[in-house]
Amino acid sequence: MKFRTFAWFVGPSVLMMLLFIAFPLVSVFLQSFQVTQPVVETVEVETCTPGFVGQTCVTETKTTPVLDANGNPVTTTEWVGLLSYTRLLQFDQVGAAIASGAFSSILAIDFWKALRFTLTFTLVTLPLVIGLGLAIALAVNNAARSVRGQIIFVSLLPFIITPVIGALSIRWLFYGDGIVTALLEDMLATDISVAANGWAIEFLMMFYRVWHVAPFAFVIFYAGLQTVNQDTLESAIIDGASRFERLRFVVVPHLMPLIIFVALIHLMDAYRAFEEVVGFSSQAHRITLQWLTYDLLTPDDAGNRAISRASASAMLTMIGIVILLIPLLRRTWRDHKGSAR
Amino acid sequence: MTLRTLMMAGMVSLLPVSAAQADCAFENETPVKVLSAGFEAWKAVTDAMAECGNVDAELDQEFRTKQPAAFAANPSLYHIGGVANGTITPLLNEGTIRPLDDLVAEYGENLAPNQLIKVDGQTMAIAMMVNTQHLMYRQDIFDELGLEVPTTWDEALEVAAQIEEADVVDYPLGATMKSGWNLAQDFNNMFLGYGGQFTDAESMPTVNTEAGVNALEMMKALTEYMDPEYLVSDSTYVQQQFQQGKIAMANLWASRGAAMDDEAESQVVGKVNAAAAPLAMEGGAPATTLWWDGIVIARNISDEQAQAAFRVAMEGLDTEMVKANNDAAIWLISGYQPNRLAEGAIATASAEPAPPSYPSTSQMGLMHTALGNELPAFFTGERDAEATLAAVEDAYITAAQEAGLIE
Amino acid sequence: MATAKAMQQPFSLRFASASFLTLWCLIAAFPIVWIAVMSFKSPVDAFSANPLNVVFGPATRADGNGLSLLDIAVGLAVLVGAGRIAFTQLPRWVARFTPKGLIVVGWLVGAGAFAAAFLLVFFGLLPPVLAVLNSIAGPLGTPIIGLTAEHYYAVWVENQFWRNFQNSLIVTAGVVTVSLTVGTLAGYGLARSGSNLAFWILIVALVFRALPHSVLVAGYLPVFINSAEILRPILGENAPTLYGQPLAVIAVLVAINQPFTIWMLRSFFQNIPNELDEAARVDGCTHFQAFRWVIMPVMWPGVITTGLFSFLLAYNDLLVTSLLLDAQNQTMVPAIAGYFNRETTTTDQVEAVAAAVSITAPLFLLVMVFQRQIVSGLTAGAVKG
Repeated sequence: MKFRTFAWFVGPSVLMMLLFIAFPLVSVFLQSFQVTQPVVETVEVETCTPGFVGQTCVTETKTTPVLDANGNPVTTTEWVGLLSYTRLLQFDQVGAAIASGAFSSILAIDFWKALRFTLTFTLVTLPLVIGLGLAIALAVNNAARSVRGQIIFVSLLPFIITPVIGALSIRWLFYGDGIVTALLEDMLATDISVAANGWAIEFLMMFYRVWHVAPFAFVIFYAGLQTVNQDTLESAIIDGASRFERLRFVVVPHLMPLIIFVALIHLMDAYRAFEEVVGFSSQAHRITLQWLTYDLLTPDDAGNRAISRASASAMLTMIGIVILLIPLLRRTWRDHKGSAR
Repeated sequence: MTLRTLMMAGMVSLLPVSAAQADCAFENETPVKVLSAGFEAWKAVTDAMAECGNVDAELDQEFRTKQPAAFAANPSLYHIGGVANGTITPLLNEGTIRPLDDLVAEYGENLAPNQLIKVDGQTMAIAMMVNTQHLMYRQDIFDELGLEVPTTWDEALEVAAQIEEADVVDYPLGATMKSGWNLAQDFNNMFLGYGGQFTDAESMPTVNTEAGVNALEMMKALTEYMDPEYLVSDSTYVQQQFQQGKIAMANLWASRGAAMDDEAESQVVGKVNAAAAPLAMEGGAPATTLWWDGIVIARNISDEQAQAAFRVAMEGLDTEMVKANNDAAIWLISGYQPNRLAEGAIATASAEPAPPSYPSTSQMGLMHTALGNELPAFFTGERDAEATLAAVEDAYITAAQEAGLIE
Repeated sequence: MATAKAMQQPFSLRFASASFLTLWCLIAAFPIVWIAVMSFKSPVDAFSANPLNVVFGPATRADGNGLSLLDIAVGLAVLVGAGRIAFTQLPRWVARFTPKGLIVVGWLVGAGAFAAAFLLVFFGLLPPVLAVLNSIAGPLGTPIIGLTAEHYYAVWVENQFWRNFQNSLIVTAGVVTVSLTVGTLAGYGLARSGSNLAFWILIVALVFRALPHSVLVAGYLPVFINSAEILRPILGENAPTLYGQPLAVIAVLVAINQPFTIWMLRSFFQNIPNELDEAARVDGCTHFQAFRWVIMPVMWPGVITTGLFSFLLAYNDLLVTSLLLDAQNQTMVPAIAGYFNRETTTTDQVEAVAAAVSITAPLFLLVMVFQRQIVSGLTAGAVKG
């Protein structure tokens, strides 16, 4: 294919990605090395606010931004190098923690706490999603044809439901006196408080993620199972391969590209997990990297937002995901060179 | 009385509310757009404004993210903004709202003097309601056990112990301690109650002090009597705990009072009363902050638009609206009849010394965020009080340096 | 035959497989069924700790809202009947009445008509008929399960949720159409080019897909709000404010979804033999003509599957839509999130649940209709590579 034709085909898509992804990304990259601040001055201000009957007036010194002739705040932008990254990573505290042997206090620093959880979350759910997806696919493939449609339909429900709603629907079963918790309390005759226990929340968040994504893995694997080469299977049977051996040496290798595809998608999605933190209100116990970025970007009541640190956190998240993806990317490179002309 | 008759009674008592419709005194020709938070009081006010015609109200849960940017645009995307004493800060700082003195002189004849929010002598906002966290308690349980309503938090601990002993509810106490904004606000209340100051004159943090430690220790002591899931409990959760009869008292927002008597949701109708927020220490102010909600007018619009917007806003804040929605808030507007559950808020606001208004400064915004992020570690037991407060100060200093407030 | 015998599964395996599937279906459906049950109860019942109270709804029943045995029997019969029609009759009717090539449109029309008919029968016809039947049925006609549709009424009628529904339709339809148009072209181009540039585009797209959305979205907001000012030098007085415009949100969502779309479609096109379009090119077609006349007729399974994923993304998005749309153009998911803000009540929450259940219904229909296409589309190769 000539470059011109190629450009015509790919152009619109690339343009959209450049405009709405690459361009903001570059600005995020630059902002992570900059700090933009308003020029401030301290002034004496008298503020009067209402009580129920009278009014209280207080005079206090306030820091307010300087406004220019048009009434817009004057700001300065400085290049600060890696300052925002150091503020986020807090190496001095990490060093102190290692020196004193108190490793657990590293996990009290937001970034490391988020990184620890995000990695655990991603790596624990990955095999579960693939395993469960594969198991469902095999079982459905095994089921009578007459009920397959209905089973596929039910199985897909957790995947299609709006993520926030899905998370809430599971949260309501467990939090407070949710019915599952109430049931467990009755059975074990103890008092259970799911939301008071970090590990219980962590488990619940992983459970939700597996519940939500396994159907996606399932439907992909199920589609793959439809194309398993029957001849190979039959010859394996003739060779006396047991059921498990057939699965191990014929079916799984056939599904391998799909398993990698699902792993790829899942790694990316789980690494930027966000809905779980919101849905399960887990901020006190567990946070993820994307939630940390989001939290830094959320303005407080006074309108402050930590854009530089948020940008740094976003860049670090991205570096992390690229590292995780490298093994899979190398394989794609080989395929690309192999398959296309 | 069965639930059904209760429902009927509720329906009847609600009917006049929905039937009464305030009319607008003038026909509005200029399109006016409003951006505010989405709670009940704002619904009432914006509905009343809409009767003037050409009013487009947006009640958005993301308003605090959108408002500063939308008001800074030229022309401003909205004419009227709904603000509280916290969220007015960015608008004031960036100068995106206009002084209202001329408009008040011309159209504000019905406003009470305490509704005018003045900054350096200029009226910058019109307050419509106040809100505060104060003590709500189950009168029936207190009567049954012969308990006195606590006036200090130490007494509250004793009372909670007695309620626990009697085993009449699941948990004696509830609190809005969801990690993040709510938890930080709960700390603010207690910290101010112990006479704490958040920052000094140079904007440096001063929370790692005796007041800070006292506040944390008291909060920790109170959690012994709470649902162990208190770190996910926001106002709605506490309100539900009350409604389902699971708790006996809580320091809760006055705006939540009406829900206690809502027959459709509550199993404790008429049993919940309100009192002033308890003191943290003898001779101090009630351990709480005063909040107001009100309206501002954008700077980047024409004077005609500002005039129309202000007139529409005055129609929204009139006596008829208050009469139709009396229980939706603790209104500052004339015509408001305080009900049983408003007594606590009024007692809190008129206590001597009075609790401070929530400080609307950039420093406070940063401090609030730092507190919200760092305090949970204390309650999960990962850090002790002093280490936690030191972490809060570190987080604040980092953020303040980034915001250019300190060197 | 030996193979047939070897394929024959021992009872234990079949039993294990069947019970595993049953368990999975239970876990998959339970939370969703449960919120559906909650949405029909009064707030007191919905958040009760006792599951029996949630199911039977004593407080709801006490308000005079309930279902009798008769109601349940008739309702279930209608539901089962509707389900059977959806799974067996509907595909046949669609196949019979749709001209070739318009099968997607046929399905959409069919599904829409089916949904409308179902709603009419279930909510329009049944209640009055059953009210009459209940009054003459005696004990069979007395309510045993508390049930109320008041939250649905509050959501759809009082809170005008249909506006949000309409906005969701606009955004979703826009995203799916644009995303597929742009994506098929790119996917085809990438599949047929072995150049390093193509590879790097794919890799960069992959990295883009991994980006945390919150970062991008926060970057858009100030630009979108001030776009009138920014674009005025170029476009003059007609420069639009992008904030609040469904079109702008569609563009953003399409861009965010492009990486996944082009990857899916590329691997799908890779499985269409190269010889097919090469033959056309030998006959003198350009690449575009080959694409139009040779590839387009065979690409539908892959496009439908990819389209479904685009649909889910646009329909379920919260982060982008909640920040970039104003109230007039708000879609359903942020509207539901609005029920959970700082100042909610229990009633608001149950209304949110009702809204959540109602927005799941179209997804139900969609999957019911396209289920076969999803599987066949995936089988046809969209995920082989």
